[in-house]
This record gives sequence, structure tokens and C-alpha cells, in this order.
Amino acid sequence: MKVKLFAYLRDYAGGREVEVSRCETVRQLLGELCGRFGERFEKELFDKENLSGRVIVLVNGRNILDLKGLDTELKEDDEVSLFPVVAGGR
Amino acid sequence: MFGWKGTILRVNLTEGSIKKESLDLKDAHMYIGGRGLGVKILTDEVDPGIEPLSPENKLIFMTGPLTGTMAASPGRYEVVAKAPLTGTIGGANSGGHFGPELKFAGYDGIIFEGRAEKPVYLWINDDHVELRSAEHLWGKNTFETTDQLLKETAEDARVACIGPAGEKLVLFATVMNDKHRAAGRSGMGAVMGSKNLKAVVVRGTKSVDVADPEAFYKACVDARRKLKEHPVTGTGLPMYGTEILINILNQVGALPTRNWRDGGYFEYAEEISGEALREKYLVRNKGCFGCSIGCGRVTRVPEGKYKSFGEGPEYEAGWALGASCGVRDLAAICKANFICNELGLDPITMGATIACTMEMYEKGIISKEEIGMEAPFGNADAIVELTRMTGLREGFGDKLAEGSYRLASSYGHPELSMSVKKQEMPAYDARGIQGMGLEYATSNRGGCHVRGYMTSPEILGIPVKLDPLVTKDKAKWLKTFQDLTAVVDSAGICLFTTFAIGLPEISAMLKAAIGLDYSDEEVMKIGERIWNLERMFNLGAGFTKADDTLPPRLLNEPLKTGAGKGKVVELDVMLKEYYEVRGWNEDGIPTDAKLEELGIR
Repeated sequence: MKVKLFAYLRDYAGGREVEVSRCETVRQLLGELCGRFGERFEKELFDKENLSGRVIVLVNGRNILDLKGLDTELKEDDEVSLFPVVAGGR
Repeated sequence: MFGWKGTILRVNLTEGSIKKESLDLKDAHMYIGGRGLGVKILTDEVDPGIEPLSPENKLIFMTGPLTGTMAASPGRYEVVAKAPLTGTIGGANSGGHFGPELKFAGYDGIIFEGRAEKPVYLWINDDHVELRSAEHLWGKNTFETTDQLLKETAEDARVACIGPAGEKLVLFATVMNDKHRAAGRSGMGAVMGSKNLKAVVVRGTKSVDVADPEAFYKACVDARRKLKEHPVTGTGLPMYGTEILINILNQVGALPTRNWRDGGYFEYAEEISGEALREKYLVRNKGCFGCSIGCGRVTRVPEGKYKSFGEGPEYEAGWALGASCGVRDLAAICKANFICNELGLDPITMGATIACTMEMYEKGIISKEEIGMEAPFGNADAIVELTRMTGLREGFGDKLAEGSYRLASSYGHPELSMSVKKQEMPAYDARGIQGMGLEYATSNRGGCHVRGYMTSPEILGIPVKLDPLVTKDKAKWLKTFQDLTAVVDSAGICLFTTFAIGLPEISAMLKAAIGLDYSDEEVMKIGERIWNLERMFNLGAGFTKADDTLPPRLLNEPLKTGAGKGKVVELDVMLKEYYEVRGWNEDGIPTDAKLEELGIR
């Protein structure tokens, strides 16, 4: 599966995009990425088992908070995007 | 006097007279300052039916009680007048150092009346205030004007001025202060130009007293700590500036592309993103007076045909001149944005008006000969050249200077103008962010995002996450955002603080500064009062429920791709709820009971 990363999350991954083997849920996918990019990355993404307020996770453009959160199910061709909470534009 | 300075300057440009008047404390308690107090003075003194560019209009510069204090991001002031672009109440908020300096000179604000016979500028040096000839400055851009004025007044003074666009009454001309900061929207620069007022220069050596220094210090430290700790105000904005929003809006499918024609996905968004700006052209970040965020961008395009230096672009400018025009060349976007600052143009309306032109060009409605160049979507040279021509009203720029609504209407196609109440909507496709659609339709200065920034809950999840694709609860939340924003714009602090702090923190700073024991509910009531007074001005100017609408494209053409595929803005449902939540009747008119409750009538 394809995961896109944005802003300073790219520093952890060393690029804009990573390939991950098929995951069933967002929780599983993020776990996989944490295993790959280490503890600091994990701290950005999680507060204990919960998604931290510091990141936004989109599946096909939908925020997982508007779906089933970390239990959101994934299909092979889904596009996942990871953002730090970013803002502005005014 | 605490928070406020207690004095307002009244400058009659027709007579050349300057008076110092006492601040009306009752009004100050009810409207705070900045936007609220500016609107109160304008509605008291000006008939809403007047022609905006006539001498009957007044131009009001107003700070708030927190401007120039140690409050969180306290560098703001507001410019208020009836707006030439929309015919609504106008107003634009700006940062930098000008607002605080006006306080340090001893004034809460300035009311300009009438029209000078020849170009003038106002020089305020603490207690000494005089009108001086600006004939030698007429025609100069904002940078040249600022440099020259600092030479002939004081090198540590602060300057707010207009460029050629304001002089030539471009309907979306800005007032620029500290060279790079803009009171940007609704055409306040054109009102200034219509008065033959080139600049206001101010130097102040006093300070702002607060009522309870200990409580104030505590409230400010608390607010500033929260700003530092929050990922948006502590990390995101300082690191990437507002342009960071390009990618996320694109990924959710709500980055309006090619005059909103191609839905909310721009295939080259990455190339014009905040990440790209940081990587390619960012020199450093920069903050306004007393600001711990520092979202400003000092930017250099080092070489090539768009070689240039300046500040920005902000997200809105980057989008308007970029995705909205289908342009992927970030250097050209930077260059066009710098020209907006130099000539004094609102880059949102500028980019959106060029985008409208490009669509009409592609449809064969406007010819190459008329424009003076080929202008298909994606033409990077065109955004630079058309921006320059607009600021000088040169050639086709003379038509662009009227904004997209008047331009498109003159060719019989008003539906191609992506505007509300004749002001161009900014960078959020409301088909994919329903609450933003309601904000555009109801904002008191026409298409505008900063008076009820629903993107914050709908996209960023701050302070709570709302689903952007549904209409549920949007009216209620929008009212809260609009009312709180009116308070922020009136207190003299930056709206960006509200990512990290809310009503309790803002109230705490405000109360300790001015020494009045408002409850949080009373503070919100002030915001609601301001909103309703603005609405009353607009109703007086002839606006009706029929104007609370959106371009047909947003109501009838569904998004073709992305998360919001198939969606249009469901405005009818939300607008009805909104009027109810506001306590207005079904025609959108505040009821007598509401006006009495708010102390407006």
C-alpha cells in the first residue's frame, strides 16, 4: 500500500512516500510504520494506544476520526496520508 | 486609562483639521476596540447607503486594548470603512508593528473624514500630529513610499500606506503597513486612495498601562505557554508558514482548482506547497510585534526570470495565484505575490480574478487581443504580468481592477465569478467543507474565511473534529466561531492564537488589561453584538437574504473527485438553521428582541 507523508514527518521517513505491505486496519498500518521509523516517530503518532492529537490520518482523503478511527479498515488500493496537525491559511 | 489609551484622532481631510477626542468608554466597553469599535463608529456616523469611494465614507484605523501589550500575538489593528468591492461593511485586519506604535503614540485609533484636495500623509510623532503634502510620493510603490517617509520623518517610525493600486482605486487595493503586512480584503486601500491619503506615519514613545499587572502577567504567560506547546502555533506555523495547508487541503479534495472548475484536487499541489517553499526559497521566518509564533515568510527567489525578494506567499496567495490559476511555478507565484505587496493589491481577489479571466479565455469569451496575451490556465508569465497591469490599471488590467464579478458580468457571465457579495472566495472548496460554504454565504464582508474559520474543526479537528461532508451542527459552530473571531479582531490580538487558546484565556487577558470583570458569556455577547451590528449595516445598505448565497458552481456542479465526490454545498439546510441559531427571522433580519438583548437598539 502507498502511504504519503507530509511536512516534518518526511524527515522520519527520509522521503515523501513509502510502500507498506497490505494492512487490515489503520492501527496495524501505523504500527508497521512505527516499527520502521522508530520511537520518536511513534511518539508523534501515539499517546499510549490512542492516536495523538499531533497528527492527522487520512484514508482516501477522509479523516479517520470521521471514519472508524484506528479501526478503520483498509483495502489494497487505499491511499493513506499522514500529516502533522498543521494550520494557518488566514 | 487601562488597555485603551483614551484618545482618538479625528482628521478631516477636506478641511485639513485634526482633533483629539476622548474615547467613548461606554462604546469601548460594549465593542472593545479594533473591528468592533470601528464598526460602531462607522454605523453611528455614516449612512450605509453612501457610495464607498465618495468623501462621505470614513476610513477608520482602530487598535484594541491588547494591541501593543505583552498579550499573545498583540500586533493587530483593523481598518474599517464601507467597502468598495462589496458595498458591505468593510474591514481588514493587519499585524506588523504599526498598530502597537499608534498605541505608543497615545491613540486608540484615527477617523479619517472627507477628501484632501491634493495627496497628503498624516505624521504622528507622539503628541504632535500634522498633515503633510504627499505629492512627491504619489505613484510610488509601498516600499519606495515607506523608505522615503522614514527618511523625512524618523527612521524608527512605522508606516501604513497605499501603493499605486490604492491611488488608482483598484477595488481590492490594500493598506500595507511595515512594507509587507496587509489590511488586505474588501478594498480599504481604494477608500484611502479616494481620500487622497497616501500614508499614515507614526512614532510613539509611551507605553500601554494595564489594570491588574500581576493578573495580566499571569494570563499572558499562560497564553504564551499554550501557544508554544501547541503543534500548530509552536511548530507548524513557524516552520512552514500558512502555505503548509496546500497539501492537506489537496489531499482532502478541497483545494479549489482552475477557478473551481476542476474540483478540489490540483495535480501539481506539491510544487507550490509550504514544504516546497521551505525547501526552495525560504530565507527565514518572521513574527509581528510581540509574537511568539512567527508565521511570516522572508522569501528569496535567487535566480531566473522571476528573481525576486519579499515576504510570503501566504497560503491564500499561493493558492489564488497557483492552483486557482492552474499555475505550478512557485517562483512565478512568489513574484506575483511580491508585486501585490508592492503595488498594494489583495492577492486573493487578484489571483481569483485572473483565474476567472483564464476560464473566460479558454471558453472563448475573451480574446487574446483584449487581454494582450494568451491566458490559458497554467500560464505562469500571465499571473505576473496581469498582476502588474492591474496594480497600475494598465491595458486589460483596468478591467481586472474591478474584481471578477464586475469583469465577468461585463461579458455577460457573472456565474464565472467565484465570489460572494462580489468578493472572491478564498482557498477552501466548500463542496468538500460544508461549514465553509455557510461561512462564505454569511460573512459580513462577502466571500471570506477569516471571520468564521470552519476549516479548523472540519479539517484540522481544532478544537473538536467535525465531519466536513455533513451539514449537522455547522450553523451552531459557525456562530460561535464568528462571534469569538469578532472578539479577537477587536481585542487587538492575532486570530492564529485561537488554535491554541480559547475564550477563557482571551477573556483573562482582556479583563486583567482593562479592569472590567466581564464573564466569559459577556465577552461572547460582545462578539455577537459586533456581528449583528455589521449585519444591520449591510441590511441598511440594501443587502437581503438573497445575497446570502454562493456561486451557482458550488450549488449545482458536484465535485468530480476526492473525498467529497458528488457533493455540492447544501446551503439551504444550513442557512435556515443559521438564521434560527442567530435569533434572526426567516429573512435573515435580526429580530427586535435580539437587537434589544444585545443593546443595539
